[in-house]
Order: sequence, then C-alpha cells, then structure tokens
Amino acid sequence: MEKVVEINHLSKSYGKILAINNISFTVNRGEVYGILGPNGSGKTTTLSVILDILKAHSGHYRWFDKPMDKFTRRRIGSLIETPNFYPYLSLWENLKIVAKIKDAPEEDVNYALGVSNLLKRKHSPYNTLSLGMKQRLAIASVLVGNPEVLVLDEPTNGLDPEGFAEVRNIIQSQANEGKTIILASHILDEVEKVCSHVAILKSGEVIANGKVGELLTTDDMVYIQSERMEDLEPMLQQTNFVKKVFKSDKDLAVVLESGYSATDLNKYCFEKGFTLSKVLLKKQSLEDQFLQLVK
Amino acid sequence: MKKLFQLEKIKTLSYPAFKTLMIIHFLLFFLVVLVVSRIHFSIPGFSVKGLYQFPNIWEFFPWVASWFNLFLAIVVILLVGNEFSFRTFRQNVVNGLSRNDLISGKLIMIVTIAVYTFLMVLLAILIFGMVYTNGITFTIVFEKSYLILIYFIQAIGYMTIGMFIALVFRNNALSIIMFLLYFAIIEPVIRLIFKAEARRFFPAKIISNLTPTPEFLTMTSEKSFTSSSGKSSLDFQEIGLIPESLSLDLTVIMAVGFIGFFIALSYFITNKRNL
Repeated sequence: MEKVVEINHLSKSYGKILAINNISFTVNRGEVYGILGPNGSGKTTTLSVILDILKAHSGHYRWFDKPMDKFTRRRIGSLIETPNFYPYLSLWENLKIVAKIKDAPEEDVNYALGVSNLLKRKHSPYNTLSLGMKQRLAIASVLVGNPEVLVLDEPTNGLDPEGFAEVRNIIQSQANEGKTIILASHILDEVEKVCSHVAILKSGEVIANGKVGELLTTDDMVYIQSERMEDLEPMLQQTNFVKKVFKSDKDLAVVLESGYSATDLNKYCFEKGFTLSKVLLKKQSLEDQFLQLVK
Repeated sequence: MKKLFQLEKIKTLSYPAFKTLMIIHFLLFFLVVLVVSRIHFSIPGFSVKGLYQFPNIWEFFPWVASWFNLFLAIVVILLVGNEFSFRTFRQNVVNGLSRNDLISGKLIMIVTIAVYTFLMVLLAILIFGMVYTNGITFTIVFEKSYLILIYFIQAIGYMTIGMFIALVFRNNALSIIMFLLYFAIIEPVIRLIFKAEARRFFPAKIISNLTPTPEFLTMTSEKSFTSSSGKSSLDFQEIGLIPESLSLDLTVIMAVGFIGFFIALSYFITNKRNL
C-alpha cells in the first residue's frame, strides 16, 4: 500500500507545554483517516507540523515517501483551524490566489465554488460572508487544483445541520473518487460515519489507532444493575471472561472476552449470588470507546 | 517570478489602504513641487526657478520625493503585516508556496512600487525641467540624471527596512511605530555612542543620505564651521549644517549592502519562525 504520509515520533512544545509527544502513525492512499481527540489533545498541532506551518522539536515526517517541499504541498488541499483569506478580496479573487499557487486552471475555482454552493456569491467580499459561508469557502479552497490528499481540521465548525450533511457528502464523494482524506474532529459521529481509520489522541499522545471497523466491533458492552453494586464490581473484576468493568451512570458497563455472551454473564452472576435487575447488550460505539480511552 | 508578481498584484491593487496611500503620495509630491514653483523671494545668488531647471532639478525632485518615502514604507508594512493578521502567509505556505516565495513576492512588490515612484519622479522632472529650462541641450538635460537611480535605490531601502520590521513585529501598528522610532530616535541615539567618523555608517543614515540636501540649499563653506571651539566638522554634519564627507559612490555601495543585509535577514527569520 502506498504511503501518503508517514509520521515518526513527532514532538512539539510551546515553551514548557508539550503539545504533542512521540506521535507516530501512517496514512495510506485511499484511506479516510480520522484524528480524534478532545480540545487540546494535539490534533491541530500535529496537522500544522506535517504541513510545515510549525516546526517540530523532534521526529520527522514524509509525504509520498519524500520530505515536504512546495511541489508536494500542491498535491495537498488543507483546511487548518479557522479559514484564512483576504477579507477585502472577493470569493473569486481569494480562490484565484489559491489556483495560481497550485498552478490550477481558473475553471477549478468555479467547480469548487459550485460544490460548496457559493457560486452566486463569488463576487462578494469575503468579509461580508456569514461564518457558515466562510467555512464552506474554506472547503471550496481545499478542492481547488484537484489535490490527491485533503487535510481537514474541524471542517464542520460553524455549520448548521444542513451544512454538516453537505460536508459529509463532499468528503464521501471525494473519498469515492479515490482521494486520501485526513480529518481531525472532535465530533465522533462524523468520524464514525466517514472514516475508515482513526487515531485517538489524548494529551498529545496517540492512545489508540486502527480501523474504525475493528475499534467498533471488538468489544460489545453489557450494562447491568443489581442491588449490591458495590460488591458486584470487584467480583467481576476478578472474573476471567470479563475484559473490563467500569461504572457508567447507575449501571456497571461490562466488556466481555470474545465468545462470551450477556446470557453467560447473567448466569455467572446468579451463581455468585447476584440477581441482575438489568441486563442490556449494547454494541460499543466509537463514542463509548473514545470516552473510555480518554478518561 | 511571474506567478509571484500576479499573486501580489491581486492582493495589492484591491487593498483600499494601498490605493489611498499611493494617491496621497502622488498628490503630496506634486503639491509640494507645484507650491514651491510658485514661491517668489529674493536672495542674492539664489532663485527658486533654478531648482526647476536642468541639471539642478535632478537633485531637487528626488530630495522632495524622499520626504514621502515614509508612505511607501508604511504601505509595505501594512501589506506584510496583513499577511500575519489575516494568517494568509501561513495559508499560502499550506497551499504550496515556499517560505522563500513569501519574501520574494514582497520584494517583487517593493521593486514594482519603487519603479512606479521612479517613473513618477522622472516624469515630473522631464515635464518641469522642459518648462523651466532655457537653452535645452542633451548634455544639460541628462547631466546628473543618475541621481534618480539613486533615489530608486533609496525607495527600495526604506521599503526593505519596513518589510523587515513588519516581519519581526507582525503587527501593523507596532511595526509602523517601531519604523518611525528607529529612524527618528533609536538610530540617532545609538549613533551618539560612537565616534563621529563611525556615525556615518549606520543604515538609516546611509539610506537617507542617498538624496542629500541639494548643494545650493546648504552652506558651502565648511571652513566657516571649523573650529575655534575645537569641534570636529563631522559633528556639524550630524545636524546637517555642512555636507557629508562620504562620497556618493561609497554611500550607494553601503546602501545596497544594507538592503541586501535586511533582505537576507528577512528570508532568515521567515524560515526560522513559526508562521
């Protein structure tokens, strides 16, 4: 599989604050790779370093198996943090600048504005746009030049539900065309729906990465309740077919080893003297997994 | 280079403050030269009309134009500072420009503005010179014409320093203040620490001396100012009473050197700092 970007042991500090620490992962061609993490986990810093906006203190990265240069950058369409345009220029002029930098034809500008539903406003100054329109222009700019890779940092910021759906459709259509997409987001639903792979960041470190499908289907979760919850939890922690048990609101959430079912758990608890008043099997979503991991 | 020029053209021509400042620059220059041409006063051996005749006009008009180099420097400071305020330097790198391209683009813009102001002054010189000079010959017209090229270098010098200061401070207001302070206070104060001979070699001094006060407006007798008090004549140069003793050739070479130095520093800090 062709590597699009390979990141090895990347670290970056802001003064005494270690923003990212020893980050490593690889994105292959055709993947839609999500980078998930709470605010301050290092998502934007990671993307900024690999796009040469920030300098890392240690580690290295390679795009298309070579060091980053301006020709490589033209193969990438990027949206980092808030959109950055010249406020006194029109939408058309702003995207014309992007097209010129990328040596792309001017027709790409019309295409990009069309995809983002902004053609009617192409001669409006940027500073007259609403927040949602600005975000859509940012997405349009990413598409100029038909780049092979899209790097999107929180692309749905400021968008209404309709905008959310539009962005998701754009990402999916670009992925269907074979583009490689790197998507940083704290919105798990978005990542779950569009990404094939995900890396989860916490406090600047990668704490989990892999295929979304594997992360989702590995562990089923059984939510149980009983009268003697304070005794039930330690008992289950000693049980060999229980992978993990933790409190979840008024329930205990139990992750079972593969091959064991909720029925097996109920039967075992009864044998141990615990009558369960609630047994609920739930396929663990990425949100559950994520919240578990970042606690 | 063509691409960088086209990029800067899109950004610059649509920027309202650019248009305003360049119009002010144009109007102020022509206002001054028109107003002065209307002044009539009698000083034995001196005539205002003489300022507008070849070859004196080649000294006078660049000297007047040099007063307004400040506007050109402020234009450059604003255009560079905006790239940090709008974070478009960063976005342009993300889109595919190299960090060196960012500076090269601004240099192309600086040279373009310098060419514009050079042509503006040249046109003014030719028009006023033809009107006010009697007995026009090729020799009279083009004697001292090299001085307008030196003004071109001076304009680039001011704008290059402005660009460098904007790259350091990354804030329009602060950069303009620091630029003014540097020329008006910081360098003059630093110069006082050094001996009189060394004071002539500082960048602001060198660049401003590219268009010295025209000869006929300065006292010509240096001997009048040497000293019974023992003061070096170089101290009187400091306050502009008598002509500088550095040759124009040396001043030009040093100015070009300083311009190169500030350009190199600009590339260096752009490559080293986070955008």
